[in-house]
Amino acid sequence: MIGNYLEIIDRANTGPYITEENWDLEKVALTTASLVEKFNLKWDPNDIVTGDGALADSIFDAGFELACRIGAYNRTTERIVEFDRSELESGINHLPQTLIMGEGKDARVLVSRKVMDERPPIVWAGNPGAPHPEELFLPCVLSWAQEPIVDLITCGSLAHVEGREIRTADPIEILATRRELSYMREALRRVGRPGMGMLAAQSSVSELGDLAVAHPDYLRPCDSHLVPMLNELKLDNRNIARAVNSLEYGMRNASLFCVIVGGLGGDAPGSAVVNVASFILGNLTLLTDYQLLHPIHMRHVATTTREVLWVENIVQLAFARNAPCIIVADIYPKSGALTRELLYETAANAITITVSGGHLEGCGSADGLLPNATGLECRLMGEVGRAVAKQGMDFNQANTIVLQLLDKYEHIFNLPEGNPGVRFDQAYDLKTLKPVKEWEQMYLEVKAELRQMGITALN
Amino acid sequence: MVNIEEHLKRIQESIIQGNNQVSLESCKAALEDGVDPLSILNKGLMSGADVVGKKFEKGEFFLPQLMLAGRALKAAMAIVEPALEEYYAEKGTSGDTGVIVIATVQTDIHDIGKNIVSSMLTASGFEVHDLGVDVPLKTIINKAKELNADIIGCSALLTTSMPYMRDLIDLLEAMGERNRFKVIVGGASVNPDFAARIGSDGTASNAVKAVQLAQSLIHEIRTTPGL
Repeated sequence: MIGNYLEIIDRANTGPYITEENWDLEKVALTTASLVEKFNLKWDPNDIVTGDGALADSIFDAGFELACRIGAYNRTTERIVEFDRSELESGINHLPQTLIMGEGKDARVLVSRKVMDERPPIVWAGNPGAPHPEELFLPCVLSWAQEPIVDLITCGSLAHVEGREIRTADPIEILATRRELSYMREALRRVGRPGMGMLAAQSSVSELGDLAVAHPDYLRPCDSHLVPMLNELKLDNRNIARAVNSLEYGMRNASLFCVIVGGLGGDAPGSAVVNVASFILGNLTLLTDYQLLHPIHMRHVATTTREVLWVENIVQLAFARNAPCIIVADIYPKSGALTRELLYETAANAITITVSGGHLEGCGSADGLLPNATGLECRLMGEVGRAVAKQGMDFNQANTIVLQLLDKYEHIFNLPEGNPGVRFDQAYDLKTLKPVKEWEQMYLEVKAELRQMGITALN
Repeated sequence: MVNIEEHLKRIQESIIQGNNQVSLESCKAALEDGVDPLSILNKGLMSGADVVGKKFEKGEFFLPQLMLAGRALKAAMAIVEPALEEYYAEKGTSGDTGVIVIATVQTDIHDIGKNIVSSMLTASGFEVHDLGVDVPLKTIINKAKELNADIIGCSALLTTSMPYMRDLIDLLEAMGERNRFKVIVGGASVNPDFAARIGSDGTASNAVKAVQLAQSLIHEIRTTPGL
């Protein structure tokens, strides 16, 4: 198995040359389209949380073939990073099955979950990447870190530091990312869980921030950071640098795959195929510890559309059956704080992920574009996930409930301005760090509805 | 001999199918049979692009179909454009629909949204020069000056790359070139408030509206004395 990043760098410097435009169209789009046809891949918008194992296997086979046929692309060197079948198979056979995050009594073990696994999903709370004004950053993080159901935390990004705006690749990213980690560590201390594991370094788009916080005072080796694969099946030297730095430091690499549903892979089945290939190739090129599943909708961004829910479901099913690994799936609802739809979206996404074999990360409320996320929806995400696992919910029941929830929130995708809700400080009392009465009441009502729908183990 | 309607239908279909070989051959055959290039452009190529755009908006087509249509259009324009120039010269009229330089600004490598807008603008008859992603501000400005562009289109998905769009406008001001170009901005986090705050000439929430914005700006440029 390839376990050496030098080999990846060599291949990225010497592989076959291709322009990025031809990579996108000739390699990714056309090869995926031909595989969708070859494997006769279709999806049913009313069977979103599907238990169709044969379909999942075909999606997996098509994704494997895509990875085999085209490899990955380094857009810095404009070279293809190729792998042969045996290398890809070996990579799959060595996918990590357990991973300890955090340290001491606060440590948690991420496992490779099975479909309909009764072991609860890990609850990883936060809104990765959502821009925050500095004064709201710590209260926001505290709002989810203080929730007892939360196992691990993540965060948004700082939009300003010392009154200065953060710019990509600007030296200020170093300060911003260190400041972010200082707030994160402070949050862990304040809630009395200093060893809790984190996914962080969100305030720097370039590699500068990652390099600046690879230090035990900031990100510890027991934490993780993101190494994204770019759309689609692409790397660049900046992100390889992130991975290399992390490996040298001994920290966890989380590979982020934001496959665009409706993008180069086409409709949902092709996008699922690209997602499978991304996992297989990301595992080798970015030397991943766990896979972060985050397909996004071409227009609506959110992970709660029918298409994206289906992709999250089928990709996890495909891996659980063919190449078990640790999958953490993102929840990025369209709606924001203090809207009922945010809670419906969160529940639909949490059900889908839990039944399909993933762990829960979120919520990137309001599409992760605004500081309109709170700890309350994280609490609901965790409660729903744990209840679904505990009662051993099957695919049929999960699908029935998710369809009911879609009926309650799907209208928001037609709202011209989305459904952003309100900023954190309007949904939470900043002094007590508790949800305002109206928000708490909404949460209690939606929970009651969820129980009525069949999530009987929801306390 | 194939009649005009059949020629135009075949050209339209080649764009909808995204077949660059067929679009090239169909346009060639139509020109050889004496079909006027303006009809080929409007009733064949643009009509096909319009169908693709509508199907994309409805969610019936996806990004690959849009890209393939753009490629087929580009292939066809390689032979239709010279014929059009001759046609306009003979008629003594102008086919000037506007020149747009478009790019994702420096430090941002996201290109899907920009590519869609770029394809839709091309499909709507604009002369589009897409400079790609992570493009330095000076490169964008220099290209716009070199091409005597009407509009500069900037894109940034990352909130931390959005300030560079303001820098571009500030740089144009500093260079004394701001009035020479209309500047439009786009990206997931860009809203009308941001667009106004940085002194741009507008933004649009999707590709169809971006085309409408560009059309209205071109109209303003062509009808306002001194612009």
